[in-house]
Amino acid sequence: MSTLIALILVLLCLMIFSGGRRGVSAFITLIVNFGLLFLTVILISGGFPPIFVMMFTGISMLAIIIYVGNENEAQTNTAFLATLLVLMVMLILIIPMNYLMQIYGFSSEQSEEIEAFNVAIGVNFSSIAIATTILSTLGAIAEAAIAVASGMEEIIEQGGSKTANELRLSGRNIGLQIMGMTFNTLFFGMFGGNLALFILISKLDASFGYYANSKIFVSETMLVIYAAISVVLVIWVTIEMTVLKTSKAKSGNKR
Amino acid sequence: MRKKLFFECIIMILGAIVIFVISTHDAFLYKQTILQVTEVSQGKTFKTSDEYGNHDKKTNQRVDGLILNGEKKGKKFSFQNTYAASGGLSQNYQKGQQIFVTISKENGKYEVTPTNYKRDTYLFMMCWIMICLLFIVMKIDGLRTIISVLINFILFLIIVQLDVWWNITNFFVIFAVSAVIFTAITLAMIVGLNKQFWVTFLSIVSGTSIALLISIVIMWITQDNGMHYEALDFATQQPKQLFLSATLIGLLGTVMDASTDIVSTLFELKRSQPQVTFQQLYQSGREVGKDIMGPLINVLLLIFFAETFTMAVLYFRTGNTIGYTFSWTMSLGLTQAVISGIGIALVIPAASLIAAWSLGGSEK
Repeated sequence: MSTLIALILVLLCLMIFSGGRRGVSAFITLIVNFGLLFLTVILISGGFPPIFVMMFTGISMLAIIIYVGNENEAQTNTAFLATLLVLMVMLILIIPMNYLMQIYGFSSEQSEEIEAFNVAIGVNFSSIAIATTILSTLGAIAEAAIAVASGMEEIIEQGGSKTANELRLSGRNIGLQIMGMTFNTLFFGMFGGNLALFILISKLDASFGYYANSKIFVSETMLVIYAAISVVLVIWVTIEMTVLKTSKAKSGNKR
Repeated sequence: MRKKLFFECIIMILGAIVIFVISTHDAFLYKQTILQVTEVSQGKTFKTSDEYGNHDKKTNQRVDGLILNGEKKGKKFSFQNTYAASGGLSQNYQKGQQIFVTISKENGKYEVTPTNYKRDTYLFMMCWIMICLLFIVMKIDGLRTIISVLINFILFLIIVQLDVWWNITNFFVIFAVSAVIFTAITLAMIVGLNKQFWVTFLSIVSGTSIALLISIVIMWITQDNGMHYEALDFATQQPKQLFLSATLIGLLGTVMDASTDIVSTLFELKRSQPQVTFQQLYQSGREVGKDIMGPLINVLLLIFFAETFTMAVLYFRTGNTIGYTFSWTMSLGLTQAVISGIGIALVIPAASLIAAWSLGGSEK
């Protein structure tokens, strides 16, 4: 049996052990998301425009992550709308920045690995980079949005009548806690995943100029920065949407 | 209040302008020669195709520019460049861009080769945007979070440097030890040095080490069947150990996230209801875990998997099969995500048990 299959089976068993029925449904979302990601690569390779493919699979993945396993419809709707809004904002931010910074395709450090290939393969590497950047941050956005939405819902249920400013403040406190940990998850995930690259750069005795300008390092750093920006944005949008919704519900009650 | 807001806006805009002006005029700080493109004349465009039916366009261009620093400051140079429309490795230079170049003298003629594009302006600008946004949304507390990440980043660079200096055979040990240090520092900054710190620390260490142990045992039983460690990008040290070290660091982040959530919820529960029993604490810990398990594993799947896309597209477009492409470009990333998932699934009962035990035990 292949190692990967064995590890996946162990993961399934442990998820059932820890989560019971919800563990099973979480595992199924993983499999479906994996399938969607794989479909994305296949479609992009097939010549479909990467950003449109990403929008399609990305929004499906967001819906799956947010709606499966969360029963409360009000807060999941808020979370989903907030993530969609942030997805659009990030797209508007990333497209021009990616053009200005020219971070796409392959870096000179990778040239040894791809020397057997002819890289003029007629795809738009810039769009692929935009699509993968947004996809890699989607999970974190969804997680933060759900956490803030459900945390604030709980406060509204417990606290009764609160002013919009008080609600905003407690939303910010929840967001702050979530953000701190999410930043670390992203940081360790992204930099840990690129450990080999960092060792290589250290061996090259790189200067500060290298860190601030090389395609590969800047693109990895930008990934973390984009992720951080989108997490902060989604927390903000979720807080404001929840505040807006509650104040609307309240003024509706008065009438 | 309004005055303060106005003041903050001014600082943000001023900061952006200062960063922009300085970083577009910082050529004198660099040892490498920088050329500013003053004129580009586009040459012929010709079509290319390969044996897999991929069509692309390549264009020649003549780039004229002014040297901004070093001995040849103020002199004009030009070079020929060819770029592909797809832009995998080459770049279409445009007027106004700054490029790092090397200038060599051959047969009395200067030869200019572009080496790297200057990206620092945009990098610093984006960092500034991130800092401003954090401040707008989270006020001063948000900046504290950034500092915690920054400290981890510096520590990370130091550890990588130590690994390069010492260059020992079992370098996994360096990263295992540093993982413990990372955990301690991050937790100390987030929860402070108290009982909650020790409970969280213990659950993270146990969750991470058990998950890694299980993974290593499975790799050993299945004899690394289908694992192409040699496909690891940029590997300069023994690939399997490198893979395990990278996995450990990625695993640590998520396990930390999950166990902090669980432990802090249980401590909060104990504070609001001091009479809560061991059984109740353990059960609520498990409930919190169930909520976060799915989204958290998905975060990891997306991070590790999306990064492999560019390479995978290259493999697919050059006539490789799905199976071959998968195992050489994606399977290592997926394995990392799966191992992190195992860590999350394990830390839920571990953190619930340790927290419930330490909180519930004192009451009896």
